[in-house]
Amino acid sequence: MTSTSFKASLASGTHHSITCSTPTTRTPNSNVHQEQYLSLALSDVLVLELSRTWAAAFAGRLLADAGAAVLLVEPPDGHPLRHEGPFPQDRPHPEASAPHLFVNAGKRSLALELPAQAHRLLALLRQAHAFVTDVPAEELDSMGLSWQRLHQENPRLVMTRVTPFGDTGPYRRYQGTNLVCLALGGQMKITGDPGLPPLSNAGAQAEYQGGLAAFAGTVANLLLAEETGEGDYLDLSIQDVVANNLEGRSLTFNLGVMAQRSGLCPSAVYGVYPCADGWVFVNAVSPSLWERLKAAIGLPELEDPRFGSQASRLAHNDELQAIIASWTVSMSSDELRRLMRQGYPLTVAETVPSLLEGEQWRQRCYVHRVRHPAAGEVPVLGPLWEHPPGWSPAPAPLLGEANRELLGEPVQEG
Amino acid sequence: MDWRTGRLPLKGLLVVDWSVFWAGAYLGMMLHDLGAQVVKVESPYNWDPMRTILDVNPGARGAQQALPPEERCNLNQHFNEWNRGKLSLAVALEREEGRRVLLDLLARADIFIENHRPHVKEKLGIAYEDVRKVKPDIVYLSISGFGQDGPERDALALGSPVELASGLFSLNGYHGQATPAKTGFSYADPVSALVALGAILLALRQRRRTGKGRFIDIAMRDALSFGIGSAFVDWALNGRERPRLGNRHPSYAPQGVYRAYGADEWIAISVRNDQEWQALVRLMGNPDWATDPELATVEGRRRHHDLIDQHLERWTSQHCARALEAALQEAGVPAGAVLDYRQLRFDPQLNARGMTQEVQHPLFGTEVRTRSLWQRGPCSQPIERPAPCFGQHNRYVLREILGYSEQDIQRLEEQGIIASSIHPSPQHD
Repeated sequence: MTSTSFKASLASGTHHSITCSTPTTRTPNSNVHQEQYLSLALSDVLVLELSRTWAAAFAGRLLADAGAAVLLVEPPDGHPLRHEGPFPQDRPHPEASAPHLFVNAGKRSLALELPAQAHRLLALLRQAHAFVTDVPAEELDSMGLSWQRLHQENPRLVMTRVTPFGDTGPYRRYQGTNLVCLALGGQMKITGDPGLPPLSNAGAQAEYQGGLAAFAGTVANLLLAEETGEGDYLDLSIQDVVANNLEGRSLTFNLGVMAQRSGLCPSAVYGVYPCADGWVFVNAVSPSLWERLKAAIGLPELEDPRFGSQASRLAHNDELQAIIASWTVSMSSDELRRLMRQGYPLTVAETVPSLLEGEQWRQRCYVHRVRHPAAGEVPVLGPLWEHPPGWSPAPAPLLGEANRELLGEPVQEG
Repeated sequence: MDWRTGRLPLKGLLVVDWSVFWAGAYLGMMLHDLGAQVVKVESPYNWDPMRTILDVNPGARGAQQALPPEERCNLNQHFNEWNRGKLSLAVALEREEGRRVLLDLLARADIFIENHRPHVKEKLGIAYEDVRKVKPDIVYLSISGFGQDGPERDALALGSPVELASGLFSLNGYHGQATPAKTGFSYADPVSALVALGAILLALRQRRRTGKGRFIDIAMRDALSFGIGSAFVDWALNGRERPRLGNRHPSYAPQGVYRAYGADEWIAISVRNDQEWQALVRLMGNPDWATDPELATVEGRRRHHDLIDQHLERWTSQHCARALEAALQEAGVPAGAVLDYRQLRFDPQLNARGMTQEVQHPLFGTEVRTRSLWQRGPCSQPIERPAPCFGQHNRYVLREILGYSEQDIQRLEEQGIIASSIHPSPQHD
């Protein structure tokens, strides 16, 4: 799309081809019409994202994957995720950080010096449909970008602020990071080995959960605003989301049963086992799954009466674990994957390269080889829903690549 | 959402929730929290297995385990957590007349959600192609482990196993260790439920514009892999899988989980910049080891992370986690106690934002339930009703939603097409 049309699209509210390549038509007997692809659901929506960490950035990426025009507002030295590695050959390069290349794919970039250029941001927010941010409320207020002000200036705008602890409560001024939110949200205490410290899982999982909730909440608010003509504000706390997404808390709250860190293999019939060249999850928690596991393994020892009932299997946990392990270590990931595909209760551990090369994602068109001017060709996952053949996210934007287009001449005021 | 008028975006919509275990059930609950009426559909022969398993942790078998399945299926605290607010319809889907009752309900529904393996809905004659004949604009969403097509579509999937298949497991683990680790619960479930929620909302927006519904295919594996999307870029840039970081951060230093005073008590601390480091050093009383100019920069702190961890833990282990949290936060350093579930129940922040509420369950008694995620803060919405007992709303659904006559309903009851109790087979011990 040419620069003039991007600006025109801002004014007219039609942005559908900014972030997606033009969809190819499907076969006529397809049951999904072209306009029905979820990757085009927000093609007339303009989103402004003012973010510093992952949660709001994930929300923006998901909105872009739904077809919205997402304008990422960055400081002149770039979004903080541009400065967080890994980088190619571990040499810092703000255009080529892996987090940026993934989570900002499909967005446009506007570099603004804030608060000095807050009026520019306000002018864009007057035309936007959604504003997603993680910036502290006090800072937004001081720039004249409070929800009250924005709502007055653009009544249909919806706003989502996703922050570690939200707008209210005693921790509202707490400093939070991904690790701190996992800790205070309860997910970390139960992760890891019983004899070792609680463990954070890899990546920025608290922020990912917050980002998913911010994405869904923003779309929900858009639906409501389109019905009522009036936008609303969503205050999301990542700690709330992490605690909400916690399995088993109800057993503690209502039965006094405490979950513990249980490591790789909580029980012989539900846990991770080593195999010849990797790891496999064995899941035989119900009698029917146990029968299928026995069929997959085919060892006569498993017919022993000690393993004849669920209770008895639990009572002889360690013996059973040893027998199952003796079988798994003799099997390769490929052999186990074949059994898994036939519906046996085994799940093979994949790695980043095995997933990139795997047949399942090839058939689902889930990995896109995106050419980036600074980083070369990189694999970008997405979207999480059906998309037209040939669809691919635009590469992550160069810093301020939309500045000339949007600020080269005065942004339309009011 | 709209706090001023209490208006919710899905008000007036009907959801049919044919979910099992967690991901689908949580999705149904969130649709309810956004205003929809949700009818949970189960069969007396194939009920949501969550009703009868995992009601206590292995090794801590409680009194409920001794009850027959017909009784404990209404008491299960997993099931009751993720199905509150819903209505229950128990209908024998395996029988043609039961299937017709479901299709009657679907003809009036806006959204159908399910999370069985892909072939199950086909076998029962309630696949998208069957349902769209009675409700052309239905939004039909399936969550499966690996997707509706491809060589892995028939693989079994629960949340924890899917974590292995997603690549997340392979990146998890303690810093510097060769063994991977799994998240301590079925993490793929809530993640895919949130993805599915967003996808349904997108489809509803399209339906509003085009009048058309659609089928949506959400794969739990894909949803988890998306969360570590940058690792796939890293592979292309550097041809390596990222070494396990454990509780460390790719750029902040130090960051970690440190022992606090007491048994299995821990504090999580992140130092994002030099200023926060100086604040931490002051709080510790400027010990000699910490004032080493080598540690004044993030590069130096990263080089000596192991050493910092040892010293820091010597300090933290003398103090209570909550006291450390308060002092560090007061000094501007991001920190939080590593809360267990009991501490979570009484966390002042979660409570101030209205996470939980007590509800009365007709058989269990007082239950603590979690409120809607979407309206926390001063306007948190009270929970309408507890999770339904099996078949509790059969008559309401058939009479009020479907308009069946009393004779029809009695006939269906007599023939066992609708039921108010599960029929356990040996398979469900």
